[in-house]
Amino acid sequence: MAVCTRGLGKLATPLRFCRKLQHQNERLFSTSMCRPAADSEPPKFVPPSKPVIIDKTQTVASLRKFLSPEFVPPRQRTAPFKFFLERKDMIRRRKMLNIPEFYVGSILAVTMADPNASGKTNRFVGICIQRRGNGLGATFVLRNIINNQGVEICYEMYNPRIQKIEVLKLEKRLDDNLMYLRDALPEYSIVDPEMKPVPFSPTGEVPLNSLKVRMRPKPWSKHWERPKFNIQGIRFDLCMTPNQMAGAQKHAQPWREYDMLREYDTTELEEQIFKEVQEEMSK
Amino acid sequence: MRRMRMMAKLGCRFLLQRGAQLLCPRAAAESPVQLLGCVRTVMKTTWFEEHLTEDNQKYLRNLTAEDYRKQTAEKLNPLRDEPWPRQDWTEGSRRVGLVAVKLGMAPIWTKTGERHPVTLLQVQDCHVIKCLPKEEFDGHSAALVVGGKNVSPFHRSEETMEMFRNAGVPPKQKVTVFRVSDNAIIKPGTPLYAAHFRPGQYVDVTAKSIGKGFQGVMKRWGFKGQPASHGQTKTHRRPGASGPGGDPAKVFKGKKMPGRMGNTYITAHGLKVWRVNTKYNVLYVHGTVPGHRNCVLKVRDTVLPARRSTLLNPPFPTYFTEEEGDLDEDLYDDDLFVHTEPSVTLT
Repeated sequence: MAVCTRGLGKLATPLRFCRKLQHQNERLFSTSMCRPAADSEPPKFVPPSKPVIIDKTQTVASLRKFLSPEFVPPRQRTAPFKFFLERKDMIRRRKMLNIPEFYVGSILAVTMADPNASGKTNRFVGICIQRRGNGLGATFVLRNIINNQGVEICYEMYNPRIQKIEVLKLEKRLDDNLMYLRDALPEYSIVDPEMKPVPFSPTGEVPLNSLKVRMRPKPWSKHWERPKFNIQGIRFDLCMTPNQMAGAQKHAQPWREYDMLREYDTTELEEQIFKEVQEEMSK
Repeated sequence: MRRMRMMAKLGCRFLLQRGAQLLCPRAAAESPVQLLGCVRTVMKTTWFEEHLTEDNQKYLRNLTAEDYRKQTAEKLNPLRDEPWPRQDWTEGSRRVGLVAVKLGMAPIWTKTGERHPVTLLQVQDCHVIKCLPKEEFDGHSAALVVGGKNVSPFHRSEETMEMFRNAGVPPKQKVTVFRVSDNAIIKPGTPLYAAHFRPGQYVDVTAKSIGKGFQGVMKRWGFKGQPASHGQTKTHRRPGASGPGGDPAKVFKGKKMPGRMGNTYITAHGLKVWRVNTKYNVLYVHGTVPGHRNCVLKVRDTVLPARRSTLLNPPFPTYFTEEEGDLDEDLYDDDLFVHTEPSVTLT
C-alpha cells in the first residue's frame, strides 16, 4: 500500500507540470481526468458543429425538370424557324430576368415599372389563375382581392417593364385554369400582400393543393359544371342538384378523346427544346 | 462532280426529248381507241419522271437540291465576271425591293416599355434574275426582275428555266418586277439580303390577301345590316337599297355588292422596320402584312412622301456582303428594347 502511495506521489509531479503547460497551450493534451473539480471553473460547453451531409447520389439531374410552357410551340403550320428565333430572344431575356418556375395556383409577387405608381414601381401579390400564350407573347394572370374589390392583372412574361417575379408559394391546384375563382367566394382569392415567401424544395414533386372551393350562387360567368371545362376544384354538391349535374352532362362530347386529328404529343419536342434551353442558359 | 451533274442534266433532257418522241408512236397506237369514241387530250409535255426509274428520280432530286443549295450558299455572283459600275445614292433614286416569306408575328417592346406587334419576314434565296433597261421595259423607267425561294426545277417550263439559267441561279417560286431608277440597276445573279433594308426606315409590303370566298356586304364592305328583331322578316344582313330612284334610273357602276372577297394583291404602306437579323435574313416589320403564314411577298422602300425622308444614305444599289461584311448579327432601331439590356425603369 505504501509503495502504491509513493508511486502516486511520483506520478503527481509530472501531472502538475502538465497542468501548468495546459494554460500555455490548451491544445497540447488534456489533464482534466485527474484535475480536482474545485481547482478551476468547469469548461464551457461548445456544441459540435452540425455535420453537413452532402448527398452525392443526388445530382443536378434529380432536380425537378421544368420547361416553361410558353417554350412549347402550338400545333400549326408556322415554320419551326420562327419559334427558334423567338426562343433565342426569350433565353436572352431570361438571362437578365429570373423567371422562376411556377404553376397555376401558385402565389406570386410581381414588381413592375409603372408610370402611374408613386415611386414608379408597383408590387402586386396574387394567386396565378391562368397561363396563356406561347413565345414572347406569353402571359399570366394574377388575382387578389383588395378593399373587397377583386383585382386581376395580366402580365406579359417578357415585358421589359417587369423588374422581378417572386414565387411566394409554389403549389399546384386541381385545375389548369382557375378562372372560376371569379365566381367563387372571395375568401379563396384573398392573398395577404405582405406575405412572406414559403420555402420550397427544388427537387421532388410540386405540392398539390387539393382544395375544393365553394361557389357564389348562380349566375356564374361561365357554366363551370359543363364537361368542356372539366373542373375538379369546385364543390358542385353544395351548389347544384344531382338533376342539374346530369343536365350539364348533355353537353359532353365523349368522342373528342378519340379524335386522332386533335392529338398533339409534345413530349419529344419538349425534351428537345429543354435541352436547347439548358444549353443556351448555361452559356 | 460538276461534270457529273452536267451529264445527269443532259441525260435528263435527252430522256425528256426521247419521251416526247416516244409519245408520238404511242398516240398512233392508241388511235383505234379514239376511233372507238374515247376522247383523249393530246399530251404535248411529259412529266420529268415519266421514263425514269424510282432510284434515278431520287438521285436527280437529291442532286439538284444539293447543287442549288451550294449555289445559293456561295454569296458571290455566280457569273464571276466584272461587276457593273456602281453609282452613288441621290435623293429620289428608287432602289430594288426584296422577295420575302412571311414567318408570323411576335411582340416587341420599345425602350419606354410600349408594346408593338411586328411581323417576321424572312428573305430566302432572293436573287436578281433579269435587268430590263428603260427601252425594254416601258420607256419610263428601268426594271429589275427579282425572284425568291428556291423550288424544284422539274415542273417548270423550258422558257422559265432558260431565264433562271441565264442568271445562273436556281429556279424560284416567286418572280416579280421592281421599277428602279436608272442608277440603281444591278447585275442579274446578284443575291439580295435582308440588310438591304435598315432599321428605322419604312417599307411597303405587297402580297396576296387571304381568300374569304363569296361574302355578303356586311363582311365585304362593312355595311351595317338590319336589326335582328322589331318585325324584320328575312332582312338582317342584306344590303338594303342599292341606289337612287327615278332620275338616273340605274344602279351606278362600282356599287358595293356581295361577291368574292380576298385573294387579291394588297399593299400595306409605310411599315417601320424595327430590327434586321443579318445572319438569318429576317426583317421585323411593324404591324400586320397581307397574306397567310409562309406566303411569298414583295418588300420595297415606301412610296409615301412623308416617310421617304427616313431613307438617308441606304446601301445603294443594294447591300453587298463583300463590302459590309462586318455588320452585326442583329441591327436594332434606336428606340427598340434589346433583350440583353436590363429591365426598363421609368423615372
